Amino acid sequence: MLTYLRKRIIASALPLIVVIVGVFALARMTGNPAALYLPLNATETMREEFAARNGLDQPIWVQIAQYFGGIFRLDFGTSMRTGQDAAEMALRAFPATLQLAATTMIIAILLAVIVGSAAAMKPNGILDRCSSFISMTAASIPDFWLAIVGIWVFAITLGVVPTSGVVGAAAWFLPVATLVMRPFGTLVQVIRGAMVSALSEPYIKLARSKGATEYRVIAQHALRNAAAPGLTVAGDLTVGLVNGAVVVETIFGWPGIGKLMIDSILQRDFAVLQACVLLTAVAIFILNILIDVGYALLDPRVRPSAGARQRRKARAAQGPTQGEDEHQNQNGAPVLVMAETSKGSH
Amino acid sequence: MSHRTPRSHRIPLALAASALLGTTALSGCSVANSEEASSGSGAPSDTLRVVLQQEPPTLEACESNLTSTGVVIRSTITEPFIERNPTSGELEPKLATEWSSKDDKTWTLKLREGVKFHDGSDFNADDAIATIDRAVNSKLGCNVEGYVFGDDDLKLKKVDDYTIEVTAAKKDPILPLRLSFLEVVPKETSATEKVREPIGTGPYQLADWQAGQSINATAFADYWGEAPAFKKANYQWRSEGSVRAAMITSGEADIATGLSPEDNIGDLGVSYPNNETVALRMHADTAPFDDIRIRRAVNYAIDKESIVASLYGGRDKAAAQLVPSGVVGHSEDLPVWDFNLDKAKELVAEAKAAGTDVSAPINLVVRTAQFPKIQELAQVIQEQLTQAGLTVNLKMLETSQHLTYQVRPFPTKEDGAIMLMTQHGNQAGDAAFTVDQYMTSKGAQSAFGTPELDKLIAAADAATGDDRQAAFEKVFKYQNDEVVQFAHIAHQTGMLGISPSVAYEPNSSSGDELRLAEVTQAK
Repeated sequence: MLTYLRKRIIASALPLIVVIVGVFALARMTGNPAALYLPLNATETMREEFAARNGLDQPIWVQIAQYFGGIFRLDFGTSMRTGQDAAEMALRAFPATLQLAATTMIIAILLAVIVGSAAAMKPNGILDRCSSFISMTAASIPDFWLAIVGIWVFAITLGVVPTSGVVGAAAWFLPVATLVMRPFGTLVQVIRGAMVSALSEPYIKLARSKGATEYRVIAQHALRNAAAPGLTVAGDLTVGLVNGAVVVETIFGWPGIGKLMIDSILQRDFAVLQACVLLTAVAIFILNILIDVGYALLDPRVRPSAGARQRRKARAAQGPTQGEDEHQNQNGAPVLVMAETSKGSH
Repeated sequence: MSHRTPRSHRIPLALAASALLGTTALSGCSVANSEEASSGSGAPSDTLRVVLQQEPPTLEACESNLTSTGVVIRSTITEPFIERNPTSGELEPKLATEWSSKDDKTWTLKLREGVKFHDGSDFNADDAIATIDRAVNSKLGCNVEGYVFGDDDLKLKKVDDYTIEVTAAKKDPILPLRLSFLEVVPKETSATEKVREPIGTGPYQLADWQAGQSINATAFADYWGEAPAFKKANYQWRSEGSVRAAMITSGEADIATGLSPEDNIGDLGVSYPNNETVALRMHADTAPFDDIRIRRAVNYAIDKESIVASLYGGRDKAAAQLVPSGVVGHSEDLPVWDFNLDKAKELVAEAKAAGTDVSAPINLVVRTAQFPKIQELAQVIQEQLTQAGLTVNLKMLETSQHLTYQVRPFPTKEDGAIMLMTQHGNQAGDAAFTVDQYMTSKGAQSAFGTPELDKLIAAADAATGDDRQAAFEKVFKYQNDEVVQFAHIAHQTGMLGISPSVAYEPNSSSGDELRLAEVTQAK
């Protein structure tokens, strides 16, 4: 597992560097920030002084060298907009986004597992059709529209929650309810599909024939085998939220990193933008590692050690066809799987 | 087959469950870095709650000409030497009680006695000189320096503890008006670094600023003037206009800035003239705008009255010049160009007959979301100019890209003629702040000019009193008759949301400096 982790870390480090350099270069290609920070009638002298003050008069290679030097000292520079330390601004905003993302995903996953499993019990039944309609609707509603309607209904008409802000438990309701819809809708469809497939497997029939309760059949046999695709999709959705739920943060005045990043882009606040991108990139990098580990824990077939063992066994037994191994699933039922199981993209 | 959960699986599951519970507990009720106090807690009658469009990037006093900064600090946290009455346009005493000059170059300011800063120190001539020196003469790069003073430094002299002399590099009859942009800070304020949270003399002092969430202020007990009606003030910000409006209708805020009727504010929305004027600036370096007949045709082809009535509910006013009523130099007699499509077509035909390439494309450059319904306005103008026989392409750009067209040096490799939609706000109250930038041959936001117009502007800049008014009126008339760089569209209005629990009469400055001391409890 450690070798596996090391390989994953090395493989993810290169994209991280590419992202950092890319953001640095692309941000500077979008125009001179002096026009945004100085009065429109600022003189040439003032523009030169501004460039010198912010290091923008240096050649690009000097700027990038200073930036990388700063990263190693954990110094990301100063915000042109606020005069504050860029890293401090990013680190202050990030926890609020993480809280929102975590709460949203916990609720979405729990609801999706319940609804998706219930729907899979009887494919094409009334419950399945209803859940399909609801999940597709939830996955397609635009955040912006839902947020505004939510404010109108729950804050203005019913007056049960505040319109926006971050104070008190009630302030969580609208942002989380708005954000939960899309992951919920998507996950219900994934889990329902995986559960339908899992419930038709021979080991489920075997479990039922041995007298296992329906709860045990679903929770301990089918759901565990159906969890892997759900984890992959949930990981993707979480990555999107960690990157900042810009619309929701903007509408509800949630002081998260998505809003900070958008403001930094619009204001060409390079230092803050770079700090935000690096922070979220590192967070996504860690999240991907966690998803990989979770995936490996859920499905022994993707563990490198297990895979190697299985390949050795397969070679010894001269397996049925090239590239496929016959082995037992985690519940002991024999199934045919690809030796190098794809985890999908994160 | 065992139905028991293997031990190796139980551990990660337990860890995952713990992580989830931990996160949930962490989330709990409070958002990271937030405190309950940020709601502006306290009895509603004690706290005035204001919701702004955006968080101020800084509260630095020498950046107070930035709308998002000035709306919080000007005349609330800090105070200027002199205050311009937004309704009458007259200059009124604040921390300077008198000002005079014998030569329009050296100005003597008498300072108010008995004024205390929020840190308890007394205000005197040393603070006044330090404030001007810091904002205008230092290398801080203050926004107010670029906006109001330019590169020239001011000479400063302390006459006595409550009298100073300010000398400009050349004659400056509106130096007191320029000084009205300076918010006074104590002499101890850093002259080498900007200060995010200033110490001022205003009726409110900063209590705390929770970055990303709110700013709280409390009434200053030792304020030299009348005590404000509210003991506390709380600022929050929401980017979305409909959310700001909802905060008013739901009773979560008392005043909301930057609203429009589309935000569903209903009767709680109060309109006010905000000194902003929308116009089209035509670049005469390429066809078809190198022919004045085409520039005149543009003015005739746009139905300004219908635009104001249909798009802006009749609140705005069709414009004939870049400054609205109330600004020195505005001419009440200057007529708005008639809407006359036949005349426009006739001028286009004449220009074509004279060899002008009237089919050359015109790029209408517009800033996305600069003000309400800007896209609809641009589309209407595009359609009306097309009816006059011109070819207009709409180019919607975000702020930074739009600025490359707004300020010199302008793009040179443009495929077509440039027509920029500009929104100009003259908050200073004097036309010099408009025409120097927008109409001189080398003005930062002027596409072209003429030597005659430059002379008229120079004469107006040097004039005083009634002569100044007349001189600027002449400048605006000459622009419309002989230069026609602009097609003026409308003088705009702003809208505040005001809760029934408070009383406030907005004025043309309310969007830039919301003087909280002028807000009272509703009777």
